[in-house]
Parts: sequence; structure tokens; C-alpha cells
Amino acid sequence: MVLLDIFDPKAPPKPIGIDLGTTNSIVAHVRDERPVALTTCDGTALLPSVVYYGDHGNVVVGASAKAYATLRPEQTLASVKRFMGRGADDPETARLGTHRFKPPANADDAKVVRFDVGGARVVTPVEASAEILKSLRQSAVDQLGAIGGAVVTVPAYFDDAQRQATKDAGRLAGLEVLRLLNEPTAAALAYGLDKKQNGLFAVYDLGGGTFDITILWLEDGVFQVKSTGGDSALGGDDMDRLVAEEMLSAMGAAARTPELIGLALDAARKAKHGLTDAPEVAVELPKRGGGAVEYRLARAHFDALIQPLLERTGRACRRALRDAGVEAPALDGVILVGGSTRVPRVRGYVREIFGKEPLGDIDPDLVVAYGAAVQAQLLADASDEVLLLDVLPLSLGVETMGGGVDKVLPRNTTIPAGARSTFTTYADNQTGFEIHVVQGERELARDCRSLARFTLKGIPPMPAGVARLEISFNVDENNLLAVEAKELTTGIRQEIQVKPSYGLTDEQVEAMLLDALDHGEEDFEARRLADAKVEASRMLLATRKALAADADLLSADERARVEAAAAELERAISAADRVAALQMRIDVLDDATHDWAGRRMNRAIQSAIGGKSVEAVGATVEHARGVEAHLVEHGALPAKEG
Amino acid sequence: MQDPFETLGLPADFDLDLGEAEKRHRDLSRALHPDRFAQSTPAERRAALGKAIEVNEAWRSVRDPVRRGEALLRKMGIQVDEGQEPKPNPELLMEMMEKREELSRAGRQHDAERLGALVVEMKAREAKATAALAAEFRLAGANGGPRAHAQALLRGLGELRYYRRFLDEALVLEDEIS
Repeated sequence: MVLLDIFDPKAPPKPIGIDLGTTNSIVAHVRDERPVALTTCDGTALLPSVVYYGDHGNVVVGASAKAYATLRPEQTLASVKRFMGRGADDPETARLGTHRFKPPANADDAKVVRFDVGGARVVTPVEASAEILKSLRQSAVDQLGAIGGAVVTVPAYFDDAQRQATKDAGRLAGLEVLRLLNEPTAAALAYGLDKKQNGLFAVYDLGGGTFDITILWLEDGVFQVKSTGGDSALGGDDMDRLVAEEMLSAMGAAARTPELIGLALDAARKAKHGLTDAPEVAVELPKRGGGAVEYRLARAHFDALIQPLLERTGRACRRALRDAGVEAPALDGVILVGGSTRVPRVRGYVREIFGKEPLGDIDPDLVVAYGAAVQAQLLADASDEVLLLDVLPLSLGVETMGGGVDKVLPRNTTIPAGARSTFTTYADNQTGFEIHVVQGERELARDCRSLARFTLKGIPPMPAGVARLEISFNVDENNLLAVEAKELTTGIRQEIQVKPSYGLTDEQVEAMLLDALDHGEEDFEARRLADAKVEASRMLLATRKALAADADLLSADERARVEAAAAELERAISAADRVAALQMRIDVLDDATHDWAGRRMNRAIQSAIGGKSVEAVGATVEHARGVEAHLVEHGALPAKEG
Repeated sequence: MQDPFETLGLPADFDLDLGEAEKRHRDLSRALHPDRFAQSTPAERRAALGKAIEVNEAWRSVRDPVRRGEALLRKMGIQVDEGQEPKPNPELLMEMMEKREELSRAGRQHDAERLGALVVEMKAREAKATAALAAEFRLAGANGGPRAHAQALLRGLGELRYYRRFLDEALVLEDEIS
């Protein structure tokens, strides 16, 4: 029997969680307090992360696209996640595969990988990922009615550019990405809430293209990541490549055409899957010059082939344990995540490294999506039951004059995190300054991953060494970096121009959005207006809730201003036909609530630490006494006598 | 520069209870983490992010003896910028130079065992120097106030920084040869 959900048009939009994987992608949501995977267009929970670009401009995603992989390898994109946020010259582009790359025309072009999918069509990994996300989004809409924001997972070891690329893909797919959540943390969330167990856990996450190891402490709903490590170009695909190389030799393939490579990779993957239950598999392969050749793969041989890959994961595990300051026996459990942990040898290896039987009782293919769905629901409910304290996976630094790296934030710093560095000018009347931000652990900037070059302009002319530039680096809860600069002697906030080293610019993403719409400009404006209205409505609702809770932190004048701005915004939501008009009202309300927000935060601090060590918190409490005291402090009200 | 003790609402004490501090960090994070404010106004989201960063930064400062010592001295009005500390005793300087040479040799020769032994040795010295600095802070609190002890405190902090730098370098080498 098929149960039909009756959509209630007034029901709040439902938040969703998405695992955008190298091999498969999943969309899930929370139903009756439990995460469930939704059915994708393939009729299954797993949607193969494969996109086929047809001859007539049509795009196919999932199992049907996968069917084209050996027939039209160059028009079929698989494992695009491995190219997210990477440049055209990335080593990943040189590994065994069927992708046909479009050589970059200039340096700007080289900041992203571009696939030539035939018919003069060129596609970036962000666009291909957006096609997968669009398909998942559609499935969710079909099954849930209105959907709200999405939590999209990323490997913990993804750097800033790879995360930004994932966010761009979400935007292109028309998703409101509430949060980028680390995959191991998502898995721990799904396990932790399921088992209600406290303790120290390791999450070993080996997927199709990425490897993460995370050590975290779980206590009463707090998931505190102690350390994380990994390799964002290591996974099951690499196992397939090793087997495919042997198969290609067995076939006597002289010319490695994309068709042959595609066939070998496909056969290799099937052989690998076969070895999960059988000690040996035999594959019939076409032989050069006609006929067939039988290729036999024994599990022992396969295990030996992948041993170097496993050792790479082992090094990362030992480092993560050391960084967390713990020894393997102290762990209460090891959680297995990712399809590649189905390989028996991988399980055995994990057992050897950590000295205990790993847990795999939640489907390793689904557990990340489950965690994402739970987090999406928690965000929608503004719940305080769970707290995810994640970390920065790679150290953040600034290139010094000699090409070295000045570390600004070390890896494994709890996020959100911030740090400030002071720089000075080295020439008289120097009005500009460039800083090169890198991510990684190596001593030389050129060996680290380049994130961006920030150019500061408009520094007041002063003798060399007098101007003092304070640069603030802020990493938010999504592990995305923002940089601000201030000249300290004048207090002038500096204008910063950001030149990301990899990835698409905002303008490029906007252009892609525009391209994707049938009626161009017109549709684009309508969609932006609709998005702005959603945001404005949420802001209005949040303001009203804040008024109900903390109106006493506003003076009568301020309160009148907030209420007037809210009323204007409400009118604009129903009347505005242009984004600019609505944006103006949003800005007015934003301005009216700015100081109040700070006071509300101080009150939150007060209640979080209130009543404990009263003397010590005195100074903090001062700031949260309420609006009157605040205004007296700032001279806006005369101090009360007595 | 913010005062991490004030941010966490903890007594400004070198010997502070780290367990208590961690709990305080957690309570504050629970109240301020941006995830709590996904449905809030943009102004609140900004304010929460700023405060959460401050709280994390404060916790990072108090849990680390070097940064904790720096924060305490700064609170006492004593300049603590690196390079301003009094000259370390020449014996320590010589010894550290030798140790660092030994370290880079172990790195070059991929001698993980020697590297491990150096790390263990330096960690023990770091622990000893931390205890000595703690005693110095207690003394400063008990008689004459911090000013009278500024030189000794700064020297102790300087020594701790040497060990820290050594251990940071060892960490990089360990990663490279593992």
C-alpha cells in the first residue's frame, strides 16, 4: 500500500539534510523525531553522483546517467567532488579517469577545473554538483511539499575553496544552504543521538574520493571535536584505479581510450564489490584484437594492492590521536562511515589501528545524511539540546616576506574562531598592501594551499613603519574565512579586495544562475525577489520573537523605531515588486536592531554563567544590566540618584 | 586585546581550575554558538558570531600556559610582547641551541625514535617550567605585587616560549617523517 502524504499548504517548510558524496548522494529529513532518507529519482535512497550531458542539451542525473558512463564517457561526469575548489593544474586531473578537460584560456580560467562534455559545452564541477543537488531538491519537494533550508555535508578536511565551491553549488541548485556540516561530525550526531552514549569516539570516514578521521568527545549533547585530519583526494576511487590499471594491462590495451578506461574502472568497481563477500572474483574483459581475457582477482591480492592507501589513512589517524592528546585505548568506540569501509581489509585495518572492533550498525552510506537531517531540524527549531563544536582542519597562515608562513590560527582550533595580526607598511606613503592567505601545515607558503590574496587600499600616507594595519581573520561555523582590516593609528576600516586563488567569482555564479533560467533577466529578478521576501519574513518573525522576549532592553524611543521599521518591512513584503525596495526596509530594520542584538547577547551570556562565581562575572554582568544602565554608561541618560 | 578571564567570567589566576574553565566555555558556547541563531535577525547572527569567536579565543588563551601567563601580565599592565622579555640566561640559550640542532638532525635522518625522546624530554621541562611560573605568580600575588616580580615572571614566560617553539617544530618534523 502506498501512503500518500497530504500536503498542508500552511505547514512550515521542512528542513532537509544532504550528503553530497563522491559516489552517491542522499537527501534525508526528520520524520517523527527520526531521520529518514527520501526516495530519489532512481527510486532508491542512494542517487549515483553521476551527471550525463546529452546531445540535445538535456541533462540526466543518477543511475540513468551512470548507464552512459561506458558508452559516452566524455559526456558523463562522475566523482566531480574530487575536483571541487581545485585548479585546472591540480594533480587530481592527471589521475586515471575518463574526464575530458578543457584547457584554460587564461590565468583566471585556470582557477577552476572545466570539463569538455561535447557539443561545445563546458561544465565546472560546481555546475555538475548543482545538477545533483537540483535532482535531490526536486525529490524532496515532491515528497515533502515545501522545503526549508538545507544542511549540506562536506569532508572535514575540505579547505576553504572546496567548501565555498559546495556552497556555490547549493546556490545554483536553488537551495538555501543553512550550514555546511563536516561529514564525520554528522555521522557522530546520528550515532550519538541514537545511542545516547557519552565518551570519546573516533570517526573513520572513507568514501569514494575523500578520507576523514575525526576524534571527538561526546557529553550530554555536546559534540566536541578534539582533532581532525584526512586527505581530500583519497578514497574508493583510488582502489578502483589500482585494479583498473591491472585490467588494462591484461586487456593488452595499447591505446587507452576513454571508453576502455571507463570500462576498466567500471569492472574494477564491480570486482571490488564482489570481493566483499567472495574470496575471489573473475571478470571477463575484451582483449585487444578481439576475443576475451579472464582477469581473476583474489582478495589477498586486492588487499596487498590497497595497503599503501590504507597506510596513508593510518598516518592521518595516528596524527589525529596525537593532536587530540589521546591514545587509542582511551577511545570508547570507533565509528565507520563511507561506502569504502565495506571493504573487509579496511575494517581489519581500522581494528588494527585502534585496537577495537569498529561500529558500523548504522548503514555507512546513509549515516552522514541522517546526521545532516538532524542538524537541519535542530537549526530550524533553534534547539539548544545539541551543540556541535567543530574545528579548523588546516592551519591558516599569512605568507611572510621571505616566502615563509606566519601561522594565524593553528589546525584543530575550535570554530568559530578569530585572530588578529598587525602589519606595517615598508615604504613611505605606501597606500596599498597585499596579504596572501594560505592553508596548510608546511613551512613554505608555496607548499601550502593558496586561499586568496587580499589587497588593502586607501591607507593614509605615512612614513614607512608608522601605519599599523590590523587584519582580523574570522572563521565562521561553516569553516569559511572572512577577512577585515583596520588601520590602527587612524581607526579607518580598510577596503579589501579579495582575489580567491581557486573557484568561481560571485559574478560567475550569478551569470550561471541567469543562464539556467528560461526567461533570463525576468525570471532572475522574480527569483531574487522571492528569496528576499523569504529572508524578510524570517527577519520579521525573529524581530517579533525578540520583542516578546527582551523588549525591556530597548528604550521607549528605540522600541518605537524597531516597531516602525518592522511594520514598514511587513508592508514591503506584501507590496514590494523590486528587490531594492525590500532591501532598503531590511537595512532599516537591521540598523534599528543592531545595538539591541548586542544587549541581548550579553543577557544570554549572563544567563549562561549567571549564579556561578558571582564576583568574577561582575564585569560581564555590568554590560547586561538592562538598557537604562547601558544608556547611562553612554551618557544618553542621566544617572539615577541614590 | 580582550581579557580572556573576564570573557569567561573566571578569576584571573594562573592556577585556575581548567576543568571549571572548560565547563564555562561549554556553557557559553551553548548560549552563543551561531547554530542557536539560524532563525534570528541578521544583527543577532552577527553579534552571536562575534561573541562565540571571543569565547573560543578566550578558552584557547586560558588553557595554554604561555597565553594564560601573557594575559595575566597584560592585565597587570606589564608589557608582554615577544622580544621584550629580559635576556634569558646564557646557559639555557646555549642548551636550547644544541637541542634544536639535535632536533633538526633527527628530522634530516628520519630518526623517529630520537625525535620522540626529544619531545618527551622537552615536555617534561615544559611542565617543570610551568610549575615554576605558577609558583612565581603565587609569590607575586602574595608580596609586593606583580611589578616587583615582573622580571622573574617575564623570564619564566620566555623560558616556556622556548620549549613551546621547540615542541611546535618537533610536531612539524614528526608529521613530515611519519
